Amino acid sequence: MAEEASAPAAAAGEGKMTMVVGVDESDHSYYALQWALQHFFPPAPPQRYRLVVVAAKPSAASAVGFAGPGAANVLPFVEADLKRSSLRVIDKAKELCAQVSDAVFEVVEGDARNVLCEAVERHHAEMLVVGSHGYGAIKRAVLGSVSDYCAHHAHCTVMIVKKPKNKH
Amino acid sequence: MDLGSIEERDMAAEATAEGGGGSGKGVMVVGIDDSDHSYYALQWTLQHFFGPGQPQQYHLVVLTAKPPASSVIGIAGVGSAELLPTVEVDLKRTSARVIEKAKQLCTQVIDVSYEVFEGDARSVICEAVDRHHAEMLVVGCHGYGAWKRAVLGSVSDYCTHHAHCTVMIVKRPKHKKSEHVS
Repeated sequence: MAEEASAPAAAAGEGKMTMVVGVDESDHSYYALQWALQHFFPPAPPQRYRLVVVAAKPSAASAVGFAGPGAANVLPFVEADLKRSSLRVIDKAKELCAQVSDAVFEVVEGDARNVLCEAVERHHAEMLVVGSHGYGAIKRAVLGSVSDYCAHHAHCTVMIVKKPKNKH
Repeated sequence: MDLGSIEERDMAAEATAEGGGGSGKGVMVVGIDDSDHSYYALQWTLQHFFGPGQPQQYHLVVLTAKPPASSVIGIAGVGSAELLPTVEVDLKRTSARVIEKAKQLCTQVIDVSYEVFEGDARSVICEAVDRHHAEMLVVGCHGYGAWKRAVLGSVSDYCTHHAHCTVMIVKRPKHKKSEHVS
């Protein structure tokens, strides 16, 4: 079973299932990643999935959009900062995923919603795992919800991991 | 939390439904109705989490919600009072059929229980999650567009936001490029 980097591997049978996990800098994301690792990538038995961790890096222009005059000067700094934070996210993800044998890490530029859905398409993933900020209805309407978007638009099973609120 | 529930709990293999942490197993609730999407979701779940080769990691709870007859008729309008018993019987039969079909699909699952609760699917599912302290909820997805979702409501949407556990939404693949060997 050769590893293919851009693997449209068989979904059923001997092929491993590809699972995309979307991460950003929030605790919810890391919690989701850890939850997925705990449930699908236990250290002992052979791992049945191929893990793809995707961090979306918003483009500097979109991040600065609200700044107004003088924004152009700020752009390079914002770009560098965004790059740095994406790398930090991926580094932390790599640490968490130390025991995963088949893991790929990606940083893709763009809006998180599209990035994740495209990553699903690209890897022919069977499952997408995202955290949930747990926004209420209003926040969701204003800020938008990546998990909502992915739940409706990703072409695969979507798993939304929530940090437990009142854990017994 | 009284929904006027008509509870028919049928246990396969003496698995206790409450707090299925007897052997340290987490509980996975799968909410189904009488639609292809639901059965697909159940089959997908079985294939990936309850495959014949693997040790079973979860206690499976298959749940279906039976809408109260009055809610179904409410839309019909006049002359509906006489229809009530007929509708009630029909709904019961549908729920039973759903569970029967689920049982057929789940033959190789050792640790499974089946439940029918009366009420709106949304609340039934979320309450079941709380009751079982489930780790995971699985639902199918009708794949409604934005309009249909606004009008008919979406159970999967509601559960995504209100269930107190991880929610997995299983979708039927649209343009599945299977057998795509390059």
